[in-house]
Amino acid sequence: MIGRAMRADWLKIRRKGLWLLAIIAPVGLIAMQALNYGLRYDYLMEQYAHDPWGELLKNILLFVPISLFLGATLISSLLANIEHHMSSWKQLLALPISRTAVLTAKFLISLILLSFSCLLLSIGTLALGAALKLPLDSIPYGDILRIGFVPLLASLPMLALSLWLCMTYKNQTLPVTFGVVIAIMSMFTMTLSEYLPINWPLFSYYGPQQELFAGAGIACGILILLLGAIHFARKDVG
Amino acid sequence: MKDYVIETKQLSKKYKGRYAVANLNLKIARGDIYGFLGPNGAGKTTTIRMLLGLIKPSAGSVHLFGKSLDKHRLELLRKVGSLVEYPSYYGHLTAVDNLEAIRRIIDVPKSRIAETLEIVGLTRDARRSVKGYSLGMKQRLGIASALLGNPELLILDEPTNGLDPAGILEIRELIKEMPKQHGITVLISSHLLSEVEQMAGTVGIIRQGELVFQDTIHNLRKQAEGSMSLVVSDPAAAVQKLLSHGQRAILANTAIELENVNDETIAGCVKLLVEHHHSIYRVEEKRKSLEELFLHITEGGGLA
Repeated sequence: MIGRAMRADWLKIRRKGLWLLAIIAPVGLIAMQALNYGLRYDYLMEQYAHDPWGELLKNILLFVPISLFLGATLISSLLANIEHHMSSWKQLLALPISRTAVLTAKFLISLILLSFSCLLLSIGTLALGAALKLPLDSIPYGDILRIGFVPLLASLPMLALSLWLCMTYKNQTLPVTFGVVIAIMSMFTMTLSEYLPINWPLFSYYGPQQELFAGAGIACGILILLLGAIHFARKDVG
Repeated sequence: MKDYVIETKQLSKKYKGRYAVANLNLKIARGDIYGFLGPNGAGKTTTIRMLLGLIKPSAGSVHLFGKSLDKHRLELLRKVGSLVEYPSYYGHLTAVDNLEAIRRIIDVPKSRIAETLEIVGLTRDARRSVKGYSLGMKQRLGIASALLGNPELLILDEPTNGLDPAGILEIRELIKEMPKQHGITVLISSHLLSEVEQMAGTVGIIRQGELVFQDTIHNLRKQAEGSMSLVVSDPAAAVQKLLSHGQRAILANTAIELENVNDETIAGCVKLLVEHHHSIYRVEEKRKSLEELFLHITEGGGLA
């Protein structure tokens, strides 16, 4: 049932800018670092001589959580808006399909789009490293692959919450504002408690007990999705 | 027991302490076209949303095809096609893609898309994106979406909204054919009696959330069948004379009104009055139009 809802959603997101968003975000992150390195290449290479790949990844990582939060917000909003726009909820939900399946399908679509971004980020990082002539014999493939995907797992609570809010409110101002504020805050909360979920994307890649943060992200994300599904299944469709 | 496709029992919906729909007992028989009438804001759309499981009743129950909607929602919705209020569509997609998005969920053969577009007459514009459609075309696309799953029950909420007279006629012909050709039961809501009276077999009239009339259109017409009015030289005395002979008569202004009388009775009354030297100036039949009756019912008068 979820599969059927997803196949319908793939069709609906055509020409809605979702793919564009999924592509632009990682490209932007890489371009930013290309600029950073391009402007002061010699200085940075000297500074980072001890671990050129690791330092490049750290530079990129700094912007991964905020990008994931923004991406989760915008993708859920765009996705929900397809149904809000012409009040398609009443048509969609009068079809023989469970509301849980509808919500889960949208969650999975968002997850796939964000995963695509993360994959692009990994590819982009590798390409940028190569372009910057970082040593090719010591490429940390594992870390390059982890740079996007692990923080993505840790930001699932945000994705689930954002999707829930975007689907509930027809007016997208509230959920989008909420998402943007969270995203910007995440830049400044790193020194606060590691229990704060908005810190999880960063800590899931960097620092001790990384798996714990990714795991907490998955668990918490599923929990929020479940709560959202219960609410969505009961709510009146106006 | 009769085979009802839709049966609601004491169906009610309360919004902030006010009943939008109260104790509704709809009964819609298989193969019927049911005209669901009421002025704007009477609770038609609220009722239809409850029939489709879009909103939960505050009290009461909905049974479709003899099964509880609450318990067998998905199974029952599979047999239902619906168009609720203004049409829903994905403006950035073409008509074909709009139907395809629904088809992927309800899982019917791809050929149904072309078939339904043909039925509603959108084949020529099928490849254009829907945001450029006129309201009438969007409404037709909505009907095509409703028909896509070969439904046994079609629930249409004001389907002729925004259509021009030719479009209204076309949709009406289309709906009329449904029970005959495909055995589909149709519930069609409207705030215009004239719109459904030519196709509906049964009508339900809702006013302020309550069902105030539910019977065949034939019986509604009967209610509308008028009275005879006699204009005579001395109405007061004439009424007395008629009453003394056991004929119910009312003095209305200067005329005498006789309700629900057949030809013989009228002839008898006239004969009686003539024999008692009343001059009869006019014998008129006064026919209430259905529209008048409808207005009378929906404005709170109940049945005459």
